[in-house]
Amino acid sequence: MSAFIDARTVPDGTVLEPDLAIVGGGPAGISIALALANTPLRVVLLESGDMSFDPATQALYSGNKTGVKYLGLEASRMRFLGGSTNIWGGWSRPMDKIDFEERSWMPHSGWPFGLEALQPHYARAQTLCEAGPWLYEQAEHWSQSEMPTVPLGAGGVATRWFQFSKMRGSLLPTHFGERYADDLKKVRNLTTYLHANVTRLGLAFNGGQIERLDVATLSGRHFALKPKAVILAAGAVEIARLLLASNDVAPAGVGNANDVVGRYFADHPIPRDIGTLILFDGKLAPYYLNTQTTHGAILRAGLFPSEGYRRSKAMLDSSITIESKTLLDALGKTTVATTAAALGVDAGKATAFTLGGGCEVTPDPDCRITLDSARDALGMPRVKLQMKLSDSDLAHFRATLKELGRQLLAARAGMIRLNMKERGQWLTGLDWGNHHMGTARAHVDPKKGVVDANLQVHGVANLFVAGSAVYPTYGAVNPTLSIVAMALRLADHVKGLLK
Amino acid sequence: MKTLFSRRNVLMSAAGVVVVGGVAFEASRVLRKRYAPSPYDDLLAKLDDRDGSAQIGEAVLAEIDDFDAKTAAAQLRTKLQQASLADIATADAAAERLVEAHGWVLPQTLGLLCALAAKAAA
Repeated sequence: MSAFIDARTVPDGTVLEPDLAIVGGGPAGISIALALANTPLRVVLLESGDMSFDPATQALYSGNKTGVKYLGLEASRMRFLGGSTNIWGGWSRPMDKIDFEERSWMPHSGWPFGLEALQPHYARAQTLCEAGPWLYEQAEHWSQSEMPTVPLGAGGVATRWFQFSKMRGSLLPTHFGERYADDLKKVRNLTTYLHANVTRLGLAFNGGQIERLDVATLSGRHFALKPKAVILAAGAVEIARLLLASNDVAPAGVGNANDVVGRYFADHPIPRDIGTLILFDGKLAPYYLNTQTTHGAILRAGLFPSEGYRRSKAMLDSSITIESKTLLDALGKTTVATTAAALGVDAGKATAFTLGGGCEVTPDPDCRITLDSARDALGMPRVKLQMKLSDSDLAHFRATLKELGRQLLAARAGMIRLNMKERGQWLTGLDWGNHHMGTARAHVDPKKGVVDANLQVHGVANLFVAGSAVYPTYGAVNPTLSIVAMALRLADHVKGLLK
Repeated sequence: MKTLFSRRNVLMSAAGVVVVGGVAFEASRVLRKRYAPSPYDDLLAKLDDRDGSAQIGEAVLAEIDDFDAKTAAAQLRTKLQQASLADIATADAAAERLVEAHGWVLPQTLGLLCALAAKAAA
């Protein structure tokens, strides 16, 4: 068992020569490190933070932002072991087949691999996320026997299921750093350095591979690694920053010959109170409003557009959650009573619920991370984020909500009010998922992507990217489970490459 | 011993019920809200709450350009001769024939009836 090493104690000028360096100790980096346990590879995991929050380390994340109101770059991620799992909500769900496909209605869509590439890794990812047995849509069978799902007429929206990560007891969800620290220490071929900030990716003069990583600590120590391969697992913003800032050999930055690095940044918009759902009989199964534990899993139901609907109507993805009971104004009451009467049903017990949710956005090359002239305490350029959100993407979400309303009417079960129409309404109180995606997108064509199907940076033989930075499109589900599945796939690839 | 159910008592009670019922019926007829006659009264009779429907209809009209009440009424009459409002409204939803009113998603037929109620109330 090897304890973690505090990089502030590493002598200046030290040069480490591992087989693999993993930059970033979040869910992707930790999953890769664990997947490579007990292999012949000598692995180093470099984590900027410690085991808990430190303001000075967290301040390395600060940057500027323009455009649509967005969370502070410091607030939406965590810079200590476990990364952003230290603040995630534990919502887990795999991506759909359609998420990986090139879609005529979505510019820049199409992954260089399909869902089948991740499927062998989802089970292990589910275990690492501690999200319980793989139930998801199987929960439908259980729900029907206990209390039925919301009755919906034939159409594009259906009940589907989230599962939740649970660390132990009532501690929810799994914080990867705290949860796996002891496991990492037990890995004989792994050395984990805390307080170790990579400040430069040293390209060989021919630009074809990384031959050196420069590491610095906030206490002023400097050392280096000369690894055979490097995996960047530091989150979409930091990965873009590192690639762009490492511009001594390639002036545009590493992997940025085609000006793609930092572009296509995305997050899931989470607008609040997007609609009001009415159930005429007032009966709503409790698993829509709160998590329910069953069959060893923590579950919550949501309402999702089906793949068939997304294809036939050229729609983006979204997820709709039923949040809480609410009251109607006089016109709302009249509308519900009048509609129920017209449908020939009793609305004496009609109940109203607020709706929330999140939606997919269209990849936008101008939604991007660039470097600022300001520098952080380590001398690294800070980032600038240009954040955007298109009206068209919001219109897709609204259309799916309307489809849900249509299905409720067709089933004579209820109805819906769409609370959002104008852009200003959507943006008022708009929240975000803190799901940083894009910036080093995967694409077979180096002109359209930073990494290839194996998540190797185009043109740089020994540099790989893990995490949602590689997402070319974003779906609408929370990314952590898929980040871990992709990280495990990458670990398999690198293991084969370096053996 | 006199019984409560003597012939006299039963007759008086029955007469009382008839009188009270008659007064109540007449009062409801007299007190019921009256509307100025409109060309759509036969259609608006399908709605439980004509005033409320008119409010909804105002919102529907705000969403529809060039609403032609005469044409709408004619189409609605044809439809409602063939099936009940409940069946038509359900079929509207199934066939994606919808209108919006202040964000509320409504079957088209109901929305148009409400729009006529608003026109009639104008």
